Amino acid sequence: MVQTMIALGKMQLKRYNIYKSNFYLFTFNRIIEVVVYIFVWQAIYYQTGNAGGFTIEEMTTYYILVITFSSFALWGINEDMAHSIRNGQINRELLNPISYFKYYFGVNLGELAFATVVGFATFIICSFFWQLVLPVNLLDFILCIFVMILGVPITFFIQMIVGTVGFYTNSIWGMQILRKAIIQIFSGIIAPITLFPLWFQEISKWLPFKELIYTPVNIWLGNVEMNEIFFIIIKQIIWGIILYFIARIFFNHAVKNITINGG
Amino acid sequence: MPIIEVKNLVKQYKIIEKQDGLLGYFKNLIKPQYKKIIAVNNINFEIKEGELVGYIGENGAGKSTTIKMLTGLLTPTSGKIVVNGLIPNEKRIQNNKNIGAVFGQKTQLWWDLPVIESFRLIKKIFKIPENEYRKNLKRFTEILDLEDLLDKQVKNLSLGQKMRCEIAATFLHNPKIVYLDEPTIGLDVFVKENIRKFIKEINKEKKTTVILTTHDLKDIEDVCDRIILLDRGQIIYDGEKQKFKDIYGKYTLAEIIVSSKNLSVKDKLQSNVFEIIEENEKEMKIKFKHDETTIVKIMNDISEYCVIEDIHMRESELEDILKEIYKGAYKNGANNDSIRKNAIKKI
Repeated sequence: MVQTMIALGKMQLKRYNIYKSNFYLFTFNRIIEVVVYIFVWQAIYYQTGNAGGFTIEEMTTYYILVITFSSFALWGINEDMAHSIRNGQINRELLNPISYFKYYFGVNLGELAFATVVGFATFIICSFFWQLVLPVNLLDFILCIFVMILGVPITFFIQMIVGTVGFYTNSIWGMQILRKAIIQIFSGIIAPITLFPLWFQEISKWLPFKELIYTPVNIWLGNVEMNEIFFIIIKQIIWGIILYFIARIFFNHAVKNITINGG
Repeated sequence: MPIIEVKNLVKQYKIIEKQDGLLGYFKNLIKPQYKKIIAVNNINFEIKEGELVGYIGENGAGKSTTIKMLTGLLTPTSGKIVVNGLIPNEKRIQNNKNIGAVFGQKTQLWWDLPVIESFRLIKKIFKIPENEYRKNLKRFTEILDLEDLLDKQVKNLSLGQKMRCEIAATFLHNPKIVYLDEPTIGLDVFVKENIRKFIKEINKEKKTTVILTTHDLKDIEDVCDRIILLDRGQIIYDGEKQKFKDIYGKYTLAEIIVSSKNLSVKDKLQSNVFEIIEENEKEMKIKFKHDETTIVKIMNDISEYCVIEDIHMRESELEDILKEIYKGAYKNGANNDSIRKNAIKKI
């Protein structure tokens, strides 16, 4: 089963490889994003002497990491899935001897692999231009990666839920924008969450989005206490399970609907 | 034991009845009116392992609906389907291991990757043993002439090349049953022949059960042993192909080129042994049965009214027979079974 999923992931990665310019363009894009954010914060810092409670080095590292990690939370199988539902390709995919979830989880692995490649390149290139703050110890680095990996199923299930909307409407474009906007604001891509109102911080503490980017970056920077990390991991597991069931039930309902009413 | 068993199968769709105008649009939003359409109406059949079945009917007769139900993509409204001991819509994933399917233009090949990559993926997904995969690939490459195509990206293939690869992909995991929903649509004669040959050979070698829907009756003529004919959701013929032709179609068609004809021969000449299907100033089409009359007698009769210049004859083919059946059914405005069956018998 795992082998099959890895094979699917490889296929998806190969698709990206066919168009070599994909890699360069995406990486270039990421770097431009980093530049924009860093310039804004530099402007704020040099005028007020403060960058949202961070030092300017920390803030620079924050954005380089945020952008490096953001592809993990934002990219995925949504578009492929919506496309397959709309043009009826889903009928073919339902005839595979593995479940639709596993099939797309495999495809998603390919997306993640590509995100890793682009993220790594972005990180390396940025590290030439700016002084980066490195994790103070190896444990922080490992925990940062671990929390990132726990975010993978969460991102995937959210994508499945958004993709399933495609069964009911003919375009999931609006839902995509919504998904991306929510993740961008709640996971600290737009700005560190500590800059937002307290009530917002309180909500984001209970939602799963913060852990996709904001928390791993802060673990890297050494801003998270050990006992907090424990709570974070439990929270991620619980959210993973909840989202799994929502995605599963919603998807099965949608498929049942088309198998009864016709595609 | 039959490999496919279908009993009292019914599929009913509920569709929203569209109302005209702006008012109708709002009415639909609030309280949509549903209309029921019966796509498949109480059909029964059994298919044994290794059979080559042609599943035919006009557009909208319910062929694809049946195929979708057999593959588990649609849930029957009522009735029973057992495929290989499983109920497909309940045990879809398990059932998928034993079946292969081609749906017209939809493909299981990955659009922007070379064909061979898709084949390798299928090998992984279906857990095909290495030597089996190699053997099949070699054999299929040979019959379908895929040698030069395997390294090409799917998007660069022509329709016929794509379909050949698609067919190979479908048979790669040695499925027990293969559903082919219009596999030859839009292909040229050579590719069609190639595909037919492939289906026949694999069937002979591996006893693969094949259910083929098509509008090209040459496919059926060439490949299938058995015909199931569907009309408006009901089976109107199920049996051997040869028998079908014997019962409904042992007639000969003659095209007679005539000149100096000024009157309608049809009005003048009443005969119960031959029938004039079409006529105009230069040409007449005649249908007759060999055991009732001969062409010489017919020509004799006709030559009283015009001069015969040339004549072409051919035995009726499946296509002619079906045309007659469909036409007959329509002529009677048939909506119930008995009228339609009579229409068939008349031919």
